[in-house]
Amino acid sequence: MKSDEKSLSRRTFLKACGAAGVAAAVGGVSLSAPADKAVAASGPMKSVRTVCAPNCTGCCGMKAQVRDNAIQTILPAADYPETEHNPRGCAKGASMTNLIYGPDRLKNPMLRVAGSKMGQFKFEEVSWKDALDHAAGELRRIMDTYGPDSVGYFVQVAGTGYVHKGALVRLANLNGWSVQGGYDMNGDLPMHAPMTFGVQSEELESYQWLDSKYIMIFGSNVYSTRTPDAPMLKLAQEKGTKVIYFDPNFCATSAEADEWYPIKLSSDAAVALGMVKVLLDEKRYNEDYIKTFTDLPILVRKDTQTRLKASDVDGLKIPFDVPEYREAYVVYSPSQGFIAVNPESLHLPDDILLEGSCSVRLTDGSWIDAKPAFQLLKESVEKYNPDKVEELSGMPANDLTRLARELSAPENQPFHLIYGASNYQWYHGDLKGRALALLPVLTGNLGYQGGGFSTLAGQYKVRLPLASWWVPQEMDGFKPPGQKSCPFAYIANGPTETMTAPYPKKGIKAWIMLCGNPFDQHNLNNKLREKVEKNEIELVINLDFQKTTSSNYSHVLLPGVSWYEKTELTATPLHPYLQLMQPAIDPIGECKPELWIFRELAKRLDRRQEKYFYPEYAEEPEKAVAEIIKLILKNGGAITEGITLEQLREGPVKMKNTSKNSVDGKKIPFYEQIHERKPFPPQSFPEPIARTAQFLKSGRIQFYRDERPFIQLNEQLPIHKEPFEDTEYKIKPAARREFPYAYITTNSIHRIHSTHSNNLVFRELQDDRAKVKMNPQDAKEKRIKDGDYVKVFNDRGEVYGDVVLDPGIQAGSIIFEQGWWSRYTGGSSYNSLIYPFINPTHEVYHVPQMWSPNTSWNECLCDVRKVARK
Amino acid sequence: MRYGMVIDLDRCIGCQTCMVSCHMHNSQPPGTWWNRVFTQGAPTHQTAVDRKGELRMDYLPVSCQMCDNPSCQKVCPTGATYTNSHGVVLVDYDRCIGCRYCIVACPYNVRQFNWKDPKKLKSILGDGYEYGYPDDVVEGRRLIYTRHRPTGVVEKCTFCVQYTQEGEDPACVQSCTGRARFFGDFDNPDSKVSKLIQEKPMYRLLEAQNTQPKVYYVSVKKTAV
Repeated sequence: MKSDEKSLSRRTFLKACGAAGVAAAVGGVSLSAPADKAVAASGPMKSVRTVCAPNCTGCCGMKAQVRDNAIQTILPAADYPETEHNPRGCAKGASMTNLIYGPDRLKNPMLRVAGSKMGQFKFEEVSWKDALDHAAGELRRIMDTYGPDSVGYFVQVAGTGYVHKGALVRLANLNGWSVQGGYDMNGDLPMHAPMTFGVQSEELESYQWLDSKYIMIFGSNVYSTRTPDAPMLKLAQEKGTKVIYFDPNFCATSAEADEWYPIKLSSDAAVALGMVKVLLDEKRYNEDYIKTFTDLPILVRKDTQTRLKASDVDGLKIPFDVPEYREAYVVYSPSQGFIAVNPESLHLPDDILLEGSCSVRLTDGSWIDAKPAFQLLKESVEKYNPDKVEELSGMPANDLTRLARELSAPENQPFHLIYGASNYQWYHGDLKGRALALLPVLTGNLGYQGGGFSTLAGQYKVRLPLASWWVPQEMDGFKPPGQKSCPFAYIANGPTETMTAPYPKKGIKAWIMLCGNPFDQHNLNNKLREKVEKNEIELVINLDFQKTTSSNYSHVLLPGVSWYEKTELTATPLHPYLQLMQPAIDPIGECKPELWIFRELAKRLDRRQEKYFYPEYAEEPEKAVAEIIKLILKNGGAITEGITLEQLREGPVKMKNTSKNSVDGKKIPFYEQIHERKPFPPQSFPEPIARTAQFLKSGRIQFYRDERPFIQLNEQLPIHKEPFEDTEYKIKPAARREFPYAYITTNSIHRIHSTHSNNLVFRELQDDRAKVKMNPQDAKEKRIKDGDYVKVFNDRGEVYGDVVLDPGIQAGSIIFEQGWWSRYTGGSSYNSLIYPFINPTHEVYHVPQMWSPNTSWNECLCDVRKVARK
Repeated sequence: MRYGMVIDLDRCIGCQTCMVSCHMHNSQPPGTWWNRVFTQGAPTHQTAVDRKGELRMDYLPVSCQMCDNPSCQKVCPTGATYTNSHGVVLVDYDRCIGCRYCIVACPYNVRQFNWKDPKKLKSILGDGYEYGYPDDVVEGRRLIYTRHRPTGVVEKCTFCVQYTQEGEDPACVQSCTGRARFFGDFDNPDSKVSKLIQEKPMYRLLEAQNTQPKVYYVSVKKTAV
């Protein structure tokens, strides 16, 4: 040891470690203790920067203090380049060691004891060789018996692990397995986004909230579910931004907003369309913007209700090529007559018609009437006058009109609208989103810093091209078949007649779960449990670092590692940095990084597959990971240009695709469309553009949809539809009487979905009680008191919990804080009540995790009854 | 030096990160919390409180108020509780005899007693798993931080003496997600904490008790119950 190193004060020492980031940089330096401090007789302390990455929107940089290969403490890294932003993590991240070292930590590969009952944790510890041989043998048997697509798998939140989670995608592509896209499986896919903008979803990074002047939030409890980002809302408010919050219930975000409106359940479309009517009536919209970027000028045929195609108009020239996934539609200009709209360009004459109607002669010689979609929108919102909206939503008529004027006032631009996941996880969540999208679009806010439309759900997002790692190419004569896709909704619900997604001939017979707990966390999980108990699903392979409820329904447990035990590349929506997880400690017990596990499976499935997983580093997974990260960075195009692995080891690096006119390096969604007139949509990784561009055949923001199910359901334009009418009341009219309460599941600050459900710290903070929140008046009618133990139930399932009376809860709703493992809620899961209703408009196309049926968690009715404590 | 803390209630988002961070960094056994975050008036954290027809959710973090006139110290028969040269009220675990007079005397209810062996209590969290700052901290000959406190002693917030002695902020301040917590020297008029209590309306808990806390709460929007 050098003498100058020895003289480092502890503070400088920690700083040095933080900067160096990894253990190697400080190896051999011992902590110099002040004279009056007794130092325990053990090794030196080192500091390792990693990323805390459960299924939130965080990926917060964290710094572990490590001694003797054990994490002692965790602090926020707080080393982001923008000090104002600098997310600091949350309580879950601060107590992560409770999970890493806790009693539920999985430390060895395990196989189910033969003949043991599903639902019980009956496993024996086995060697990796035995576990992998068994898993691969069973997979091979099932693939040979039922076909490779009968092997289903899911990866939760790929954004938190491009390398290791990507390794399973690679393996599935090598074997032709069926993916259950996590984003639709979780109900996080906001279907209005592909319908309106042609993207999986888009959002402003939270740092950009500071640039908004006026923020409307529809049902996103940012303060409880986006803890590290919530300070950005506060900071914006300190700078004068107004925050308006809509939520049936009073929550942490209601408390902090400038105004809060407790609207009726799922009535957001009525509110949005009421405001749209004000904007249209008072001409408070940006006409140029609408003509340039939206489909609203496009003519719609009165006879078929479809958009008028240029190829159907008599004598109309189409002076451009139309890609297969696009269509040329027609607009009318008083000076130039009918014009074919080039879907690859965003240029139209200034005088195109937005209002009125016209007659058109078709190629078959017939005459039809047509109107611009804008005219139809105007007619369609006519009924949403303030009084009607008040009746539908409870939103006071005067406030509605005032807010519409405020959001469009010049001094309140840019205007930003946030639409929360819990709010779009309704059967008509797509209609609500399409209606809400009108507000920032009509006012011309999309594409400007601090303006536009955000949905907040999970850190799902693949932010850069990953095909170089995820999609294996032909090698030495081995031709990867590529993976299939079978959405989870069809596994839970069975196939439908209207589905466009593939469904394996024999159904799903084997299931590989990576970082998920679906036997608690997915709807009809009681049915899922039955499928395993009845051996309909013959093999469940569970790769996790903890023993969860889902372990009890698995055959093979493969112990992976946490984010303090491996190197991994991450990037998430609200904090668009590339960041590395870095190993603070060696894997616990026999645990292995996932990449190693998938290589071992691959070579057992087919010897030729081994070479796809860096066999030269068979026992040095860290080296293989480094190679893969370099490969991803090299193939990331403009997004990763100039970013090196060495840089990432030092700390967070902002992705390079920031928008040109952003002075502070922020990424503005749809910037290229609005400022460079590139057609919609921008690419949604990892899909090629053709797959998502088909959603917007006109190349424009689309409010009018004319695919058959939309027309049949009268949903060509966004409208308000009441909750439960097309779902619960339809399948059981008596539900109106028998199950008078809406069953709403919310997130709590004490869990990230089901992660940390078993963390003793949070169990203590919640008195070990799963909470059932009720309006005091509802409770009185049911003779239920605060603290009573109740059963919440419907025909499908039941869950148990302790009642908390909360005057902020809207009458008629039962709120259950989701994420509790079944062992804390009387054995059954809160998801057993929830039915996977499939909306036919979600089946029009099928692109996994982009246009796909997904879960409407909140479209559910229940009743509640006091019971004896279990 | 007069170390103290300012908590900006306008910025507190009730996330309880400070509370959990404190618990972990200071190796508190299950059941022991040096720092707590409440929703004022609500038995369950983050539920609405109806105040004369207005729904509210106002948070209040409470830990040792580090009083200039500490009633706990006055009643301590052994001198285990003392105030150091930085104005920090501390407990010497070697001298504490567990009489718990201080617990009765403290009007803030922030002192806690180790009825059971903390090491044993923590063992339910995992085999051989230990958390929190690992080294003992001794001031003079007083043991003011140790990972496993002895059974039968009283413990409480130390302003993270293991960090603040080194010029770092306490764990609760470093991890405060909302940037609501500030630590510094009230003897220095230019310190952030000295300035903060000038800039915003300020109050201390239970002023009438004349304990003269060095934990100040500032807020424009929130009121204390």
